Amino acid sequence: MKFEVHLDSATGRTKHVVDLEKVGSSYKVSLDGQPVDADVILAAPNAVSVILNGTAFEIHIAPSLDGTYKLQTGAHEFQANIRDPRAWRERKQGPLEAEGRQQILAPMPGKVIRLLVNVGDEVDAGQGLVVVEAMKMQNEIRSPKKGKVERLEAKVGQPVNAGDVLAWVD
Amino acid sequence: MFRKVLIANRGEIAVRILRACREMGIPSVCVFSEVDRTALHIRLADEAYLIGPAPSRDSYLRIDKLIDVARRSGCDALHPGYGFLAENPALPRACADEGITFIGPSPETMETMGSKTAGKQLARRADVPTVPGTDEAIENPEDAQSLARTMGYPIVLKAVAGGGGKGMRVVPSDEAFASCWRDASSEALNAFGDARVFLEKYLDTPRHIEIQIFADAHGRVVSLGERECSVQRRHQKVIEEAPSTVVTPDLRRKMGDAAVRLARAGGYVNAGTVEFLVDARLNFYFLEVNTRLQVEHPVTEQVTGLDLVKLQIAIAAGHRLPFAWETITPRGHAMEVRIYAEDPDNNFFPCPGKIVARRIATGPGLRLDEGVYRGWTVPIEYDPLLSKLIAWGNSREETIARLRRALDEYTITGIRTNVGLFRRILAEPEFLSGQIHTKWLDRLLARPHPPVVPPRPGTEAAAAIAAAFWESIQPSSSASGSQTPQAAPSRWKQEGRRSQLDRQP
Repeated sequence: MKFEVHLDSATGRTKHVVDLEKVGSSYKVSLDGQPVDADVILAAPNAVSVILNGTAFEIHIAPSLDGTYKLQTGAHEFQANIRDPRAWRERKQGPLEAEGRQQILAPMPGKVIRLLVNVGDEVDAGQGLVVVEAMKMQNEIRSPKKGKVERLEAKVGQPVNAGDVLAWVD
Repeated sequence: MFRKVLIANRGEIAVRILRACREMGIPSVCVFSEVDRTALHIRLADEAYLIGPAPSRDSYLRIDKLIDVARRSGCDALHPGYGFLAENPALPRACADEGITFIGPSPETMETMGSKTAGKQLARRADVPTVPGTDEAIENPEDAQSLARTMGYPIVLKAVAGGGGKGMRVVPSDEAFASCWRDASSEALNAFGDARVFLEKYLDTPRHIEIQIFADAHGRVVSLGERECSVQRRHQKVIEEAPSTVVTPDLRRKMGDAAVRLARAGGYVNAGTVEFLVDARLNFYFLEVNTRLQVEHPVTEQVTGLDLVKLQIAIAAGHRLPFAWETITPRGHAMEVRIYAEDPDNNFFPCPGKIVARRIATGPGLRLDEGVYRGWTVPIEYDPLLSKLIAWGNSREETIARLRRALDEYTITGIRTNVGLFRRILAEPEFLSGQIHTKWLDRLLARPHPPVVPPRPGTEAAAAIAAAFWESIQPSSSASGSQTPQAAPSRWKQEGRRSQLDRQP
């Protein structure tokens, strides 16, 4: 299976194509078209162990609310945006956009201070839906896709926890 | 000894006290708010009682509820931990009314020693140095200047009616005195309609060094040596260590003597901390007394070999201190970092959340005092302290190397922490040579910083492979970009896949 991995780190943004081919209980790995000597396993929950040309890495992975992954190994952090083969086929180029009915979640605990849309509104990907205030900062929560606001769970003045559903967009 | 101890706190300190009780064979009782039902101190508790909703003022700060739990559960002693009610004299008073022993000093001591102004007065009476100054206005500039000369420069002139830095001048030298005096008094007159100023010794970049004291009810007061707490971010301690790089045996004895004198003068009983500011010439000045156990008590424990919580309990039960002060000399070096759920990219704002996964640091010379575990959601209602990671070794260098190694092992996935801050501090030449003061860290953070350690070759490739592999084992990745915690893979499925990979766990 082929994956296009976009990595953001303190040193900038890079793109890699990783091809994983399952052979028996392990994988044949190629990176950017070149076969590499890599052994990759899930070592523990959310921890992937990679031995690359004899150098061992443990990479800790957590999903972010915006659909990317946060990767951490030792002192180094990456944000990974992945396109898998199916998504690839459908969108050869262009920004990443979510598909299907999407729940819009509060990314941090705070208070809803403004609604920017109404139920039934057509919205574009990236358009602000709800403003949540946390730690005295106002954060616009955006739509991950072009679509229609199906439901608005958020109410002005309502306190929310991280992960609470604010709206549905379909 | 006590029949049963109520632990009137939460988080890592509740766990710490619970462990001490258990080692002493004393049953303990824990309390929790509605959001803390799954907290570690409750998971480990012998007995646990709900005391109210999440906000502290409705739960952990409710003296009536704590006393009610103590009464119902048959406790004859209460440990307040730190924070919450630990320095509120109303709690020991309420305990006394119910015949419950408060593990800490008396309410009267708390009042006289805990307040900054009362503490300073007591310090003067006990001949403990305080920041020199006049406290009251000086009318005549010549008198003021001769006083400044005797105190030594730099000094600071402050408006009597002042505030907010108005009417304030730092005088670096005798030559500058006259013009600074003019500026300060005219600014004070313009700002407050009152030209009067007073003067104080100016401590430019002091160190914060504190002395741990212990006193029993039989008149013995000892010093357990110092802790260096100069690495602070906005007046909050970030790293603590013992011993301090600048404290000589002679200075340790002098500061210890001063702290013990102060404790005697205030009739202090149990554990306390006397905080001092120390200037570049190693003059020390009384700052304040903390009438409780400190967050950073483990560094003293590691260099003295004592268990301060057990000692607190024994002293509260009327036991004598089992050692003489003279026998206490620090051995080796210990250092603590406070790991918080904070976002370093967002000005260290608290960012609690769910701990998705974690790897803890273990091995030689390490101690982890914490109240968290994998799968637990750090509540937003309280201080976001996750863990105190303490390293010790034969030397400061070995201790720092251990701490660095441990910080690489310590991994929390799912929430952001300030661990990167410690990596940076522990790589700073000034920190390594002990050239620190209370403003050092704030100045360091104001400078841009390159990554502390360059990544090993292959790190980025390994990250790309890991990310692709992770994506490949996610169930039905119908669309990338839709991965949310709600849609997180089932642990059962993951476990199944993992075992199918036929590798060592």
